[in-house]
Amino acid sequence: MSGAALLEVEGLSRNFGGLQVASDISLTLRAGDRCALIGPNGAGKTTFVNLVTGVIPPSAGTIRLAGRDVTGLPAAERVRLGLIRSFQVARLFRSMTVREHLELAVLQRDRRTFRLFASVARVAGLAGEVAELLDAMGLGAVASTAVGSLPYGQQRLLEIALAVAMKPKVLILDEPAAGVPHAESQRILDAIDRLPTDLAVLMIEHDMDLVFRFASSIVVLAQGRLLCSGTAAEIAADPQVREVYLGSRADAR
Amino acid sequence: MTMAGRTASRTGVAGAHPPPAARRDLGWIGIPLVAVAGLAAFWLLPDDLALLTRIAASALFVLSLDLVLGYGGIATLGQAAMYGTGAYAAGIAAVNWISDPFALLAVGGLAGGLIALVTGALILHAHGLTLLMLTIAVGQIVQEIANKARDWTGGSDGLSGIDPAPVLGLFRFDLYGRTAFLFALAVLVVALMVARRIVRSPFGLACRGVKEDPLRVSALGGSPKSYLVALYAVAGVFAGVAGALTAVTSGIVGLDSAGFPWSAEALVMLVLGGTGRLYGAVIGTAVFMGIHHILASSDPFHWMGFIGLFLIGIVLFLPGGIASGAGRLSALLSALARPGRDGGRA
Ligand SMILES: Nc1ncnc2c1ncn2[C@@H]1O[C@H](COP(=O)(O)OP(=O)(O)OP(=O)(O)O)[C@@H](O)[C@H]1O
Ligand SMILES: [Mg+2]
Repeated sequence: MSGAALLEVEGLSRNFGGLQVASDISLTLRAGDRCALIGPNGAGKTTFVNLVTGVIPPSAGTIRLAGRDVTGLPAAERVRLGLIRSFQVARLFRSMTVREHLELAVLQRDRRTFRLFASVARVAGLAGEVAELLDAMGLGAVASTAVGSLPYGQQRLLEIALAVAMKPKVLILDEPAAGVPHAESQRILDAIDRLPTDLAVLMIEHDMDLVFRFASSIVVLAQGRLLCSGTAAEIAADPQVREVYLGSRADAR
Repeated sequence: MTMAGRTASRTGVAGAHPPPAARRDLGWIGIPLVAVAGLAAFWLLPDDLALLTRIAASALFVLSLDLVLGYGGIATLGQAAMYGTGAYAAGIAAVNWISDPFALLAVGGLAGGLIALVTGALILHAHGLTLLMLTIAVGQIVQEIANKARDWTGGSDGLSGIDPAPVLGLFRFDLYGRTAFLFALAVLVVALMVARRIVRSPFGLACRGVKEDPLRVSALGGSPKSYLVALYAVAGVFAGVAGALTAVTSGIVGLDSAGFPWSAEALVMLVLGGTGRLYGAVIGTAVFMGIHHILASSDPFHWMGFIGLFLIGIVLFLPGGIASGAGRLSALLSALARPGRDGGRA
């Protein structure tokens, strides 16, 4: 795999007061990459996502998206350039239905939200695309349910569906399977498989079973630093990783 | 296929909770209902046409507030700035240049929309109390400008001498106020149709998203502030038309049309009727002004107290406003109509 570099992170650092939550992280995602980012709780994985997507500013480092420096761009601007993330804790519009969420995502992606006098129900091509997205996540039966009254697992699936609906170039999934019933987690992998192969996906995940099914490469983060990276097999065999991460989790089980 | 079946059965269990009713939308049926209720009032209360006309124009103003508050979550106590600007713009145009009533409404709508666009772009980065203060300040500034520009506005004496031409060149504004009321009712009904269209548009959907979680909207690539400014401007057009409608039908514009009390009263009427439902604005305005009218003439000393008690009752027992009562009633009735269905599971 050596496609064009889509996301290039260099020397990214950030501290909260005295706490160094990201120190000198460098990472490149190329077209076609399926990379997993793992690390113990509090390692700084979500913070890394927030830095890359522009939710919080870094104290040092640069972020390039498809060759373009986006370090100073606001979050929404990066989204429009194709850098899409899902949230670790489902972050949705509680009173809106599942269908309305997907409609909004697709309309926003196509920049058709400033139509004041068109009916959402009659926007060309929208209903079909939304139906496909609903189907892919098995959310068809709850399409008209307000999200606030949806079981958490289905909220998580909708969160993924929203990210997928944005047709990302770089997709970052922050623990997509957290809270999803085990039998449904395959849906998430299936949805990623259906995406164009030339996009880059970075998945943060604790479920090692899912990680090994998904990832071609793995990056390990501990205490805000990149510990090591390599193929799935290399990481699984790495004694250092076993000690800080796999080992401690295996003991916990 | 089997996967879909499994999901469906799981959601079946989730569906044991009462399905969330289509709260926001009493459907298109409400629009003909408003028209019919207005016409019924026209026949039944021929002596109160001046009041009914004021109710129709005020309902349009409260509707504009529902657009910003109910669909965008913008807390404002300065919506009268747009109403007053529209009223004065139409009034000044009528006194000096134009007399066609529709053209006057257009002037009012344009003026209301412009002032909302400009002030909205300046203040809508703020939130909460700061924003509330800023909206009040804008209202005060508009009122002060109207007060100082006596030559144009008549200052504290008010602007009079507005004498609009017959509607469509056919229907004169008569002494009994028949034309005025029917004109106001027609404008209100059309405005409801337009507002309904807007809130169901892609734009309306995005605004509801901003109301609930602006940061999530930016994570979808949207710019929350530009939605809010656009919504504020659109609502400003509605408020401006409402002001112009009052100017055209009453023939006068006063300083109180841009005042803080009028903004606050609109908020009370909206909360009474129910926010985020469009029809709540009409119901709240009719109930508030109707009660006000009846009580103020029968008991001029205590009517404010009655209104206060009534409001407390509504807020306590119907937190979604009067319009939510209809939704609850229909949910209750449909629950009673099929007691066996969910009962087996419970
Ligand atoms: N806004 C903040 N202010 C101060 N400290 C923060 C802030 N956000 C995160 N932290 C701290 O930074 C560290 C890294 O947090 P982060 O959420 O990035 O970890 P994580 O790797 O995503 O963990 P998890 O696996 O539990 O999701 C934690 O110690 C956390 O308490
Ligand atoms: Mg995290």
